[in-house]
Amino acid sequence: MSELAMHPVPGARQVVAAITRRELVLASKRKLVRLLFLFSTLPPILLTIILLVRNLAEQATGAHLPWDPLLQFLQFQSLPVGLLVLGIGTPLVARDRAEDVLFLYATRPVLPWYYALGRMLAVALPAGGLLLAPGVLIAILRVGITADLGVGEALELIGKLTVVSVLTAWGLAGVSVGASAGTRRARWAMLLALLCFAVPDLIAKSISHRDPWPLGPGSAVSEMIASAFSRGDHGLIAAVVLLAYGCAGFWIITMRVRGEMTP
Amino acid sequence: MSASNGKPWIELDGVDLARGGRPVLRGVSATLSGRAIGLVGANGAGKSTLIGALLGVLRAQRGRIRVMGLELPQHALEVRTRAGVMAEQAGIFPGGSGVDAVAYAGQLNGLPRREALRRAHRALDALGVGEERYRATDGYSTGMRQRCKLAMSLCHDPEVLILDEPTVGLDPAGRIQLLTLIRGLAEEGRRILLSTHVLHDAEFLCDEMLLLESGTVAYAGPVATLVDPGAGSMIAEGEGLDLAVVESLLAAGLDARLEEARTRTGSVTATRLRFLSHGDTDLTRFWAVVARHGAEVRRLRRDSVSLEDAVLTVMDGARERSRGGRS
Repeated sequence: MSELAMHPVPGARQVVAAITRRELVLASKRKLVRLLFLFSTLPPILLTIILLVRNLAEQATGAHLPWDPLLQFLQFQSLPVGLLVLGIGTPLVARDRAEDVLFLYATRPVLPWYYALGRMLAVALPAGGLLLAPGVLIAILRVGITADLGVGEALELIGKLTVVSVLTAWGLAGVSVGASAGTRRARWAMLLALLCFAVPDLIAKSISHRDPWPLGPGSAVSEMIASAFSRGDHGLIAAVVLLAYGCAGFWIITMRVRGEMTP
Repeated sequence: MSASNGKPWIELDGVDLARGGRPVLRGVSATLSGRAIGLVGANGAGKSTLIGALLGVLRAQRGRIRVMGLELPQHALEVRTRAGVMAEQAGIFPGGSGVDAVAYAGQLNGLPRREALRRAHRALDALGVGEERYRATDGYSTGMRQRCKLAMSLCHDPEVLILDEPTVGLDPAGRIQLLTLIRGLAEEGRRILLSTHVLHDAEFLCDEMLLLESGTVAYAGPVATLVDPGAGSMIAEGEGLDLAVVESLLAAGLDARLEEARTRTGSVTATRLRFLSHGDTDLTRFWAVVARHGAEVRRLRRDSVSLEDAVLTVMDGARERSRGGRS
């Protein structure tokens, strides 16, 4: 075994990528995750079919059908993505804590924040991808095939979708993985995450019945998507809320792991 | 391999470390350069805490720690990159097969994915893990788990191996097999720190010992000195070993004297000759004198004690000193 020479201390990017990659591979082997992944590909397929049928109908009748289902698509798409995030994220840290492997990370050149970021990205990347990729494909489809969108409008749409996807993925990952760091059991982590979805909105509604702020991650996602299409009133608050959930989750994981990365 | 060539690779100087407000290590000082160092102490003596400090995971409140010449905790990441750790309480990275877990360990130490997988297979081959490597680790036996954990610590070819109770839970045959593998690794040039309760394991592997008693150093140094308090003292028993032989040995430059061997009740059973030997030359001189006097040596042995007795004696002494210090 001595052919091996000393190698330098690995950088943060290398370690974080290794952690993220492993979790993605392991998640892809789980039946529940595969099912949720398939489920989350249904909305873009349906939307594509709707757009093609509308295009054919317009060509056949010569009439202009102004209905644009993209907003509904994105809001519906956020549901399976949310479920996928819960499915992937809630066991991550809880499982490592239950199996006492956090010290294994401490014995290697892995800092607590590398671990936290690696875990969060393992959830955020598929979530963001599932929100962004179909939207981009649809924008391309509308520019190239149905021709009801100009290139500039398409780029603007992709820009909005990118912001929405990044913030949604970061916020939801913070909720699910952060909840996972709060317990040693994935089921309790799931319950904790669901409470994070429900309780802030209940509080917001109890404060203001007419126009509650989107304090829960679910309502924040919905509000931000609506605001991206000029249909919401609290887009900025929703963005800040999602950013805060992501950062809080990252901080909770880092602190928890720092405390348990000891012999 | 900078940790080799007899240079000290663990240097501790007045290390104080408290956990949760309770002092765990108190004024720990030792300079160790052995190929394999045994870290021995009772439960709660501070072994795991010391390992944590040697990796820079736990920070000493006072004192200085250097591993492979690197100051801690400033160079913690470098030490962890160059060390392989097999932790007792920590398991195997969960969720995948054995080879996945070992390759992942390599990647965390900075190996590219393909290289990590190649080395994982090689480490598992070296440890005699066959097709089981492709099975989920959940179903592994204790022996297989220990091998997999050792492979995880070896995958990136570390200079230093820190092994915490590697033989725990293994049957005698499995224990010997694993210890032989570890000894092979030490012979390849790696430095090994073995934390263990099993003194036979330490005796089998180690050439230096660090004995901890309630967070203080009871002994730090070569195993040979520990088990040979007479420092080269030899005892010869037989016929014709009399004063004339002693005088000839003294004339030949050997420190020799006669003494009486007694039973536990105190009655004298025989006369025996004790002399100091610092190597083959002294032994050759001894045999020459014996032959000249026509004496007959029936038994010649080093005046050593078992490691277990030596450790217990040292620990008892440390405990007494600690009690005396407190009162």
